[in-house]
Amino acid sequence: MQSASTGVRGVKLFNEYSSMRAAWCRFAPLGFLGASLGLAACAGKGTGLDANGRPLGSGGGVGGAITADFQSIQDNVFTPVCTVCHAGAGAPQGLRLDAANSFNLLVNVPSTEVPSLVRIRPGDPDNSYLIQKIEGHASVGAQMPFGGPPLAADVIAAIRQWVSDGAQPATAQAAPAVFKVLSTAPATDDLLIGSLPQVMLAFNQEVDAASVDQQSLRLERVAATGEAGSSELVLAKLSLPAPNPHALLLTPLSPLQPGHYRVLAHTAPGLELADINSRPLTLNSSGVGDDPVILEFDVAGDQ
Amino acid sequence: MRVKVAMALSAVAVWLCATQTARAEPYLAVQGGYECSTCHVNPTGGGLRNDFGLVYAQNVLPAQTIGGPDAVWGGKLTEFLRLGGDLRANWTRNEAPKSPSQQKFALDQVRLYGQISMIRDRLSLYVDEQVAPNSAQNLEAYVRYSDPAHGWYVKGGKFYLPFGWRLQDQTAFVREVTGISMTTPDQGVELGYETLRWSAQVAVTNGAANAQSGSGHQVTGQVVFVQPRWRVGLAASQTQADAGNRRVAGVFAGLRTGPIVWLGEADLVSDEGYPEGKRKLGSLLGEADWNLAKGHNLKLTAEYYEPDRNVGEDQQTRWSLLYEYTPIQFLELRAGYRRYRGIPQNDAQNRRLTFIELHGYF
Ligand code: HEC
Repeated sequence: MQSASTGVRGVKLFNEYSSMRAAWCRFAPLGFLGASLGLAACAGKGTGLDANGRPLGSGGGVGGAITADFQSIQDNVFTPVCTVCHAGAGAPQGLRLDAANSFNLLVNVPSTEVPSLVRIRPGDPDNSYLIQKIEGHASVGAQMPFGGPPLAADVIAAIRQWVSDGAQPATAQAAPAVFKVLSTAPATDDLLIGSLPQVMLAFNQEVDAASVDQQSLRLERVAATGEAGSSELVLAKLSLPAPNPHALLLTPLSPLQPGHYRVLAHTAPGLELADINSRPLTLNSSGVGDDPVILEFDVAGDQ
Repeated sequence: MRVKVAMALSAVAVWLCATQTARAEPYLAVQGGYECSTCHVNPTGGGLRNDFGLVYAQNVLPAQTIGGPDAVWGGKLTEFLRLGGDLRANWTRNEAPKSPSQQKFALDQVRLYGQISMIRDRLSLYVDEQVAPNSAQNLEAYVRYSDPAHGWYVKGGKFYLPFGWRLQDQTAFVREVTGISMTTPDQGVELGYETLRWSAQVAVTNGAANAQSGSGHQVTGQVVFVQPRWRVGLAASQTQADAGNRRVAGVFAGLRTGPIVWLGEADLVSDEGYPEGKRKLGSLLGEADWNLAKGHNLKLTAEYYEPDRNVGEDQQTRWSLLYEYTPIQFLELRAGYRRYRGIPQNDAQNRRLTFIELHGYF
C-alpha cells in the first residue's frame, strides 16, 4: 500500500521533472549568461553619491584622514562601515550608529550584551564596551565590524583618543544644527569668461519648497565703484531642481553682461529661505544693509 | 553530464542574483529532501544534531568513514541527555583598496549544545552556548513542549528567529539586511507546526530595536512547503519599535538537479528607523552547491544588496567560491574567496576575503 503510493508519486515526480528539465535545457545557457552578466554589472557606479552611498549633500561622508573627533569618526567609521548592520529598527542590540542616533546611543548608555559596561565611558576607553568590541576582546560576541576586516590600528587609536579626551559630541551637534550654504557654483571670487547659464547654491539640508519665493535670493550687478546703492537688480528665476532638494538654481532671464555680481539673501521675515525643519538660513558673511551676501563673482566679456 | 551541468547553470538563471552562504546546512537538507528537523534537534535547524543527523554525518557526508561503530561518538550521554558542539578555527586574509592587507589565524567560535528530554518526545530543555572566543555567551536557551501526534510544538525562552535560509555564513547580505541570523537570537515564544510536507513557525519576541527599553515587539513567521526535490518558503517579520517600525518579507526556495543543489532567497525590507525616515532595502541570494564526489562540495554564491531603493547606483554585490572537503566524519575543511563590489568611493564595499577554515563537530 505504502510502496505503491510512493511509486505512483515517484512516476509523477519524474514526469514533472522531465518536462522542467526540457525547459531548462533550452533556456539554460542563455539564462545563465544573462544572469551572470546582469549581476556582475549590478554594483552601483556611485554617480552622485558620497562615500557612504548617500546622495551628495545629504550630510556626512566627507571622508579624509581620521582624526580624534566625533564627526570624523562618524564619517570615516560609523556611517561607512557600521551602518550596514547598525541602522534602522533592525539594528543589532538596538545600537543605531547612523549620524542622527549614534552619539545618543553610545555615550553613557549601558551595553545590551554586558549591561554592567557602558558603550562609551568618557575618559575611560578600556572600560568602554564599543572599544572592547572593535579591539576584539569584549567578553561577549564577535569583534566588530562583524565578519569584516578589523578596523585599522590608526582608526582604533583615533576612537580611543576621542574617548580619552572626554567623548565630546561633534561641534555641529553641540550647537543647535543650522541650515547653511555648503558650496556654490561659481565659487566666490570666480572670474567667469563669457556668460553663465545659472548660479547653483548647495545647502546642508533640504530646502523647504514652500519657503522659496522669487525674492528669497536676488542677483545684483554692482557698478565699478562698488558703493552701496550703486547696484542694479538682475532679473533671474529661482528654482528648486526636483531630483535634488538640497540645491537652488538662479537662472538669469538674459545673458549676464561683463561686470561684478553678487547674490544676496533676503532676511525680512516671511521672505527668508528655510530648510524642511523650518530653520532659517544662517549666513556669516557681512551684508549689504540687512541682507547678507552669499556669493560674489565677476563676469569678463567674451574675447 | 554536460546536460546536467548546463541544467545546473541554468538554474542559476532561475534563482538569479546573489548567493551566499554557507556551510552547508540548508543545502544538505535540500539535497536529501529533508526538513531541518530531520537532522537537527531544533525544528528550525542549526545547532545540535539528532540521531539521524549524526548517522548522516558519519556515513553520507565524509569521503571516508573511519573507526568501527564502537569508536565513534553517538550523541547521547544517557537516554535523556544529548550533547553536541561545533568548533571553527580559521585563517583569513582581507584586502581592500588603499589599505594594507590584513591576515591572521583566529579561533572563530566554539559552541556547545545540550538538550535534556524531561519527557521523551514531549518536553525538553535546550541550550546553545558559545564558549569561545572570549567569555561564554548564551545564544539559545528554551523549553519546548511538543505534541508529536499532531505536529505542534511551542517553545519559550531565547532562540533564533524563523526566517529564510538559516545559512552558516552570517555575513550573507540576506542575513544582514533582514537582521535575522544566528547572531541575533531574540527572546519570546514560538509556535511551530511540522508535518512531512509543511513546516511553519510564528514567533513573538522583543525585537532588536527594543533590546534595551522599547515598548514594542517583533512578530516573525515562515511557512515552508517541502518536496523531495524542491521546496519553497515564505517568510515575514514585523517589528514595532519607538525607533520606527520595520517590515521584512522574503521568499526562499531550494531545488535539486542531479549533483547540484540550488538555493535562492529574496528579501524586501521597509524600515522607518532611519534618520531621514523610511528606507526600503532589498537583498538577493543565489547559491549552487555541487557535490563533486562524496565528501567534496563546490559552492558558488552570488549576492545582491540594494541599500536604498530611492537612491540609484548604490548597489552592492558579492561573489563567493568555496570548496568544502569532509575527509572523515565530523571534520570539515573549507577554503574560499569572497569578492565584494560596491560604489568605487567606498573601500570596504570593494574588499576581498580569502579564508581557510577547520571545522570539527559532534
Ligand atoms: C555585519 C553586520 C555588523 C557590522 C558591519 C557591525 N556590527 Fe556591531 N553587531 C552586529 C551583531 C550581529 C551584534 C550582536 C552580536 C555580537 O555582538 O556578536 C553586534 C553588536 C555590537 C555591539 C554591542 C552592542 C551592545 O549594546 O552590547 C557594539 C558596541 C557594536 N556591535 C559596534 C559596532 C561597530 C562600532 C561597528 C563598525 C565598526 C559594527 N558594530 C559593525 C553586527 C554588525
